[in-house]
Amino acid sequence: MAKKPTGLLFFPAFDWAISPTHPEREERLLYTRDQIFEEGIMDLPQIKEYKPKLAEARDIARAHFCVPDVAAQVTEAHLISAGSTLVIADALMQGEIKNGFALVRPPGHHSMMVSHGNRGFCNINNEAIMVEYLRQKYKIKRLAIVDTDVHHGDGTQNIYWHDPDVLFVSFHQDGRTLYPGTGHVDERGGPLAYGTTINIPLPPRTTDAGILYVLDNLVMPVLDEFKPDLVINSAGQDNHYTDPLADMRFSAQGYARLNEKLAPDIAVLEGGYSVETALPYVNMGIIMAMAGIDYSNLREPDYEPGRFKEQNLETIKKIVDIQLNAFRNRADTIAKNRSRGQDFETIYKNIFYDTDYISEDQTERLRLCSNCGGFRVILSSAQHRNAKQYEVYCISVPSYCCEDCHREAMDMYKQMGSKGNYDFIYLQDRINDQYKSLDTYKEVETIL
Amino acid sequence: MLIGIDVGGTFTDGVVFDNGRVSVFAKEATDDENLSQTLLNVLDKLLIDQDVNKIDRVVLSTTLVTNLTVTDSGPRTALILMSGYGLPQDTYNLAPDTYFLKGCMDFRGNEITPPDKEEICQVIKQLKDNDIKRIAIAGKFSNRNQRHELFVKAELAEQFPEAEAVISSRIAQQLNFPRRAFTAYLTARTSEKWNNFIDHMQQALKERQIKAPIHILKADGGTMPLETARENPCETIFSGPAASTMGGLALTWKDVKNSVVLDIGGTTTDISLIIAGQPLYASQGARINGKLTHIKSFAVKSVPLGGDSVLRLENDILHIGPERKGPAACFGGEYAAVTDAFNYLYKLNIGEPVLSEEKLALLALPMNLPLTEFCQLVTKETLTRLKTNIDAMFKEWEQEPAYRVWEIVNRQEFHLDRIIGIGAAAEAIIPKLASDMQIDHMLHEYSPVANALGSAVARPTLAVNMHADTQADLYSIEPGGIQGRLNKNKDLQLEDVKEITRQYLLDLAVARGLGSYAREAQFTMEEQFNVIRGWDRLGKLYEVGMQIKPGFIDEFEGVD
Repeated sequence: MAKKPTGLLFFPAFDWAISPTHPEREERLLYTRDQIFEEGIMDLPQIKEYKPKLAEARDIARAHFCVPDVAAQVTEAHLISAGSTLVIADALMQGEIKNGFALVRPPGHHSMMVSHGNRGFCNINNEAIMVEYLRQKYKIKRLAIVDTDVHHGDGTQNIYWHDPDVLFVSFHQDGRTLYPGTGHVDERGGPLAYGTTINIPLPPRTTDAGILYVLDNLVMPVLDEFKPDLVINSAGQDNHYTDPLADMRFSAQGYARLNEKLAPDIAVLEGGYSVETALPYVNMGIIMAMAGIDYSNLREPDYEPGRFKEQNLETIKKIVDIQLNAFRNRADTIAKNRSRGQDFETIYKNIFYDTDYISEDQTERLRLCSNCGGFRVILSSAQHRNAKQYEVYCISVPSYCCEDCHREAMDMYKQMGSKGNYDFIYLQDRINDQYKSLDTYKEVETIL
Repeated sequence: MLIGIDVGGTFTDGVVFDNGRVSVFAKEATDDENLSQTLLNVLDKLLIDQDVNKIDRVVLSTTLVTNLTVTDSGPRTALILMSGYGLPQDTYNLAPDTYFLKGCMDFRGNEITPPDKEEICQVIKQLKDNDIKRIAIAGKFSNRNQRHELFVKAELAEQFPEAEAVISSRIAQQLNFPRRAFTAYLTARTSEKWNNFIDHMQQALKERQIKAPIHILKADGGTMPLETARENPCETIFSGPAASTMGGLALTWKDVKNSVVLDIGGTTTDISLIIAGQPLYASQGARINGKLTHIKSFAVKSVPLGGDSVLRLENDILHIGPERKGPAACFGGEYAAVTDAFNYLYKLNIGEPVLSEEKLALLALPMNLPLTEFCQLVTKETLTRLKTNIDAMFKEWEQEPAYRVWEIVNRQEFHLDRIIGIGAAAEAIIPKLASDMQIDHMLHEYSPVANALGSAVARPTLAVNMHADTQADLYSIEPGGIQGRLNKNKDLQLEDVKEITRQYLLDLAVARGLGSYAREAQFTMEEQFNVIRGWDRLGKLYEVGMQIKPGFIDEFEGVD
């Protein structure tokens, strides 16, 4: 039998922009279109092109609490971008393709579990929506998301912070030098999911050699030990040496090699704003590597091998050693956390939405369950751009949680209904695949 | 008076169409070795007792170029490629004599690597040594900047004047380098025989004192003047299936519905779709010998199953087709064919029903089946194969990718309203297929000659595309492969680009003698992108397409 093709879903959203001069504008994938169409790569038997579809509101609600509702946070473009990842997920799971790349915009990896607006060009998290869809429809439990964008994937990290079955690895330009300012070495996951969040903050100007060192010596060994059912590349392209928003030295060859080694089952485009001098070549590199096509003839017009020398290998080696160690000792740390014996652990935080200029206050409480990763409750308050202030109460039941947690979460939702302190009370019940939202002012419950 | 002649795989049909009626019909077995003679035989049959001065137009649809390309015949032809960076070079080994040269452009038409004169000289020497005089030259992104292609062509003209070279940017300017290169290669390869054919036709028509314009049917369902066709042999590929689609449309003139056209001939059935009155195009361009081209063609699926597909037993298992062994038994054929089974089972009274029964019985007997049951087996299998292929076409259409939000949001559900049956064997099969699928069907007394009729009344088509980049100061426009500078016109607006495109189309229409149809032209694409660097707009990119869509000539007002 012939080898299965690589699925490619190209959705450049040529009629969608955040604003006319914003990096996330119509032009972003124009030259990528030119390059991949001119090469004729879609005509090759190694590639199968897919057509996008719209995600449904419940697909979004499975991963997010959209305030006040899904319609308020997404445009049709977002639904198509998210829906496209689901098309690729279906094609993979139904055995039509060996792997797939959702080359789509708008992106999503800065979107957290609660969404009050757009932050870091993202409203909803495409990877998380896809992961929860894969879990619901295909009963997949363990997944790894490797975030190769130059910015810390803080949204994805937030969503899977307490999930011991989703390994989230992000390497990025050090948060002290770049948006969103997080992703430090000590951000390793919640008390019951410690170690399955791994951050590798890299010094500015890290090159192919530095990033591939991280891949060989940290990412691949960790994946070997974690044994996920699927690997997802949250594939930003802004580590490129010409990216206008970041300051790294990664090349198209580097991106191709990275994807060849990582061999993700699914890649989803994230950031990358060097629309003309990087994206056409990086996208070609990713497609070729995933499809097993020789990419040695690919390069940017101004690139020469050996153009950049790695200056920071010692620093990178240190970070890799520290993180590998923390990952390998995660079971001990989790056992220690569990033995503290409290019912709930509480965290307070403030989240800033740079695009929409929203400041959100959150109180997050995790049930320290003795059987599972626990369920979480988020009390969130923010003033939206339309000046409305929202106070919402969100209860999130993970896809794989114990009966106790599930029951307690459902009871909590029922009890909260009679208390009038919140504008909306949400229950994200992934066990029953049911997403409830109670508008306490109108006394209307919506079930997705 | 209009004349249409359609060369099919088995038969060549011709009609004289006058005042809404087919007044004369002629048919002849197709001789692949001498297509022009077949065409002229049919023409002469049509012209018996006709006043040649009353002919308004003659349209030919011919399989000549299709046959040349499918059988890969023609003079030895070289393909010179400048494939630059990207996919590995061997991806583009599209022809037996493919040569690779340095020279590389990017998508904005900026030069990445210049061509190497020394290397070009070496290749020219090899061409001379191998005595290859037909040459196609293609560069990646030559649609944005053809300078390298022109450079190689000029070197060839100087060093090897006997050679004839075609550059790909003149053949097509859409994106997709391998399709453009392969189309250029086919053009170079078929050009000589195609031009001989045109010479022969022009001479023959002159001898018959026909002064009316002669057109050739294209794969997109439109016609072009024979003289224009000289430079574009590839556009005539697959004009047969286009003729049947246009024939289906002609029979249902002004009755706009979603239809599937089934042209059931002797050995094959061609299936095409008409959506809201418009024939569906193949989004990828025509495919020849497994390779995609830039030839705009209807989406047509050819199924190796027709009315004459012979029925045979192999170890007591029934096989239908794919070959034809003469006509069906009811028309005096030696073997039972698909038409015979329908004829007997549904008492259609086609030809000599008794002959159908006789030959069918020879097959039913060894299978120990009553004749009715045997026929049911045949018809069921036939209908299933046709239905499966119709479904597959819909599925492919639904899966066509889209790159804009509105295309996804506004995509409407498609409901098939009817089957239009054309071709010789449609009468036997279509009514049963339609009732099985629970939809209407349309058969007409002209169904058997609808191909030739469709050719006779199809109007000329013409598509113009323009790309303009105000920052790079470049534009390109096709057909004709024109490229040039915008003369630093940074204020160029979409309206201006549309006007240039419209004017170009009008001029070309006049030059080709299609003036009156230019007013029917519509914009089919309008794209504009701001080129933003930092927070400033440095330029604009435009893509505009305009087209005289397939349709019918003014004289046509439906069939009686």
